[in-house]
Amino acid sequence: LRARLLAGALSSALLLVGPYDMKLLPGPAAPNAAATGRLMFARSPFGIATTVDGHSIYNIEVTTTGLPTAPAAYVAWAVTPDLATWTRLGTIANGKSIVGPVSLNKFLVVVTAEKSPTSPTHDGPTVLHGTSPSGWLQSFVSHPLFRGMPP
Amino acid sequence: MRTLFIPLTFLGLATTAWGQDPGAMVPQTVKTGGTKSVHVISHVVTHPGNWKAADIEIEQDKGRPYVYICGFTNFDTQIYDISNTAAPKKIFDWTIEHPELHRGIGAMDGKYFKIGSHYYYAQSFQFMQGSPDATLGAVIFDVTGLPDPNKVKVVARIYYPAAPGGFHNTFAYKHSDGRVLYFATVNDAKAVVYDLDKVGSGADSSTWLVGSVPNPTPSKTFRTGSYHDFYVGYDPATHLDKFYGAGLGGFSVWDITHIEAPKQLFTITGPGEEIAHTITPSPDGNIVVTETEYQYTPLRIYDITDAQAGKVKNVDVPISAWTADWHDLSHNHEVRWPYVFVSAYEDGLQVIDLSDPKHPKTVGGFFTCDCVHEDGFGGNPDNGWKTTQPSVEQGAFGVDVRNYDGLVVISDMRSGLWLFKVDGFNSYKEGVSSVQDYTKAPGSTPPTS
Repeated sequence: LRARLLAGALSSALLLVGPYDMKLLPGPAAPNAAATGRLMFARSPFGIATTVDGHSIYNIEVTTTGLPTAPAAYVAWAVTPDLATWTRLGTIANGKSIVGPVSLNKFLVVVTAEKSPTSPTHDGPTVLHGTSPSGWLQSFVSHPLFRGMPP
Repeated sequence: MRTLFIPLTFLGLATTAWGQDPGAMVPQTVKTGGTKSVHVISHVVTHPGNWKAADIEIEQDKGRPYVYICGFTNFDTQIYDISNTAAPKKIFDWTIEHPELHRGIGAMDGKYFKIGSHYYYAQSFQFMQGSPDATLGAVIFDVTGLPDPNKVKVVARIYYPAAPGGFHNTFAYKHSDGRVLYFATVNDAKAVVYDLDKVGSGADSSTWLVGSVPNPTPSKTFRTGSYHDFYVGYDPATHLDKFYGAGLGGFSVWDITHIEAPKQLFTITGPGEEIAHTITPSPDGNIVVTETEYQYTPLRIYDITDAQAGKVKNVDVPISAWTADWHDLSHNHEVRWPYVFVSAYEDGLQVIDLSDPKHPKTVGGFFTCDCVHEDGFGGNPDNGWKTTQPSVEQGAFGVDVRNYDGLVVISDMRSGLWLFKVDGFNSYKEGVSSVQDYTKAPGSTPPTS
């Protein structure tokens, strides 16, 4: 019973902490933009959606303010950490938008301003970008340069 | 190493009493100008924004008048043609792809090297946790075709995924075995060593890494032991290739004649030396100039004669020290014995005479920073790297010296590229320095390439 109570308390605490919202930083083309991206499991009869090889499948709820109105479309992309592969997730606008799916382990979310909402490739400037929670799972703590020590 | 100092081709450097007064007040105004012995040839503001440059490199061969600027948080490399030293001309500017997606301190250190008839330039990078290219250490350019920027090509990228965080400092060295080696700091208690011929020639990247040099004095305080900087040179007296390392915990000297099996020779550790930053030996190897990286600390001068002779395993007491202004901090340096050219952060370019190592003399200097005291580098990318506590890390970051004509170049974090001449210092033709002779291996007689 004590173990169940402890597990219940821990679950409640985790619910209070999460879920994790990715902070999307503004790019030079939209310096006043701000956004967060919340990873949500894609629909699945099993509760948690995964690929056949075990990667989680997410949709991303993007909450945005400050995007200028000029371009035809803001397109969200899932980008591998080496910037080699850009996968189109959908379009976003100020307010809430849901895009996806993405099944990468570590990835960036990049929003670009495109001339067409159906643009299959990224050509426009970056307006928002952020890193998936898993992208931070790489310890730099021992590196003096990233602990406030001087160059 | 040599038992006699190499005679120099420059004489008569005027000495000037400048700084050094421990009772002086903290300057209330921005420092400007310089001594009469130091002459500004030109100045180029290299970038917009608050941060303009990290380190600097100048090519040494006549007929190749090129200076390389590491763009720091601008994530770029700039090459300047200084055929006309009074008017440097930017001829090449390369930036990491999608710079707006990257986070980190960016383009930090640059070294040129030569293999056969080809000239190369290695630009080190440092990107941080959560950023693209966090495992990228350096981008290698073939720069043989300069001054035509269209002939400059990226030929390789060195990644070090075992310890993300990139390369902070690097050193290109023509080893006595004929190879051109590239030493790099990493986020681990060792320096890594690459064979640049394999890197530049497109060989399988699994063959590039050929060795490593451990840091024998990892810091207990910081619980890590990364090297920060190093100097590599050939000792003709003992026929050894020697590595002088500065890292967290102190300094160490290694025999790297066989790079696959380095042998520790001795260390320099002691009070105040925990954040060891830079070390450069005199041509005979008996004196070293050292720097530790915290405000108020001076450059310390050590006599390591007994350690080089194997009589002691550690040296812990300096024979002298020097600072431009004790309120500040001096950064990197280049030794052209008996002169030391210092990129002294807020105190700009400083030149020291170590003819008498126990009594360093200030030869002259010039303030390049044009900055407010203690408003230096710090913070994070989200606040533009603006410090949240007193920081003197701003101003002259890197320094280099062209040996054939004594031209001195400075990269200033706040103000960009500077070219100087120092009265009486017109060349450094015969002495040992960080400059490599890529036409032959040290210790050999006939050219090897």
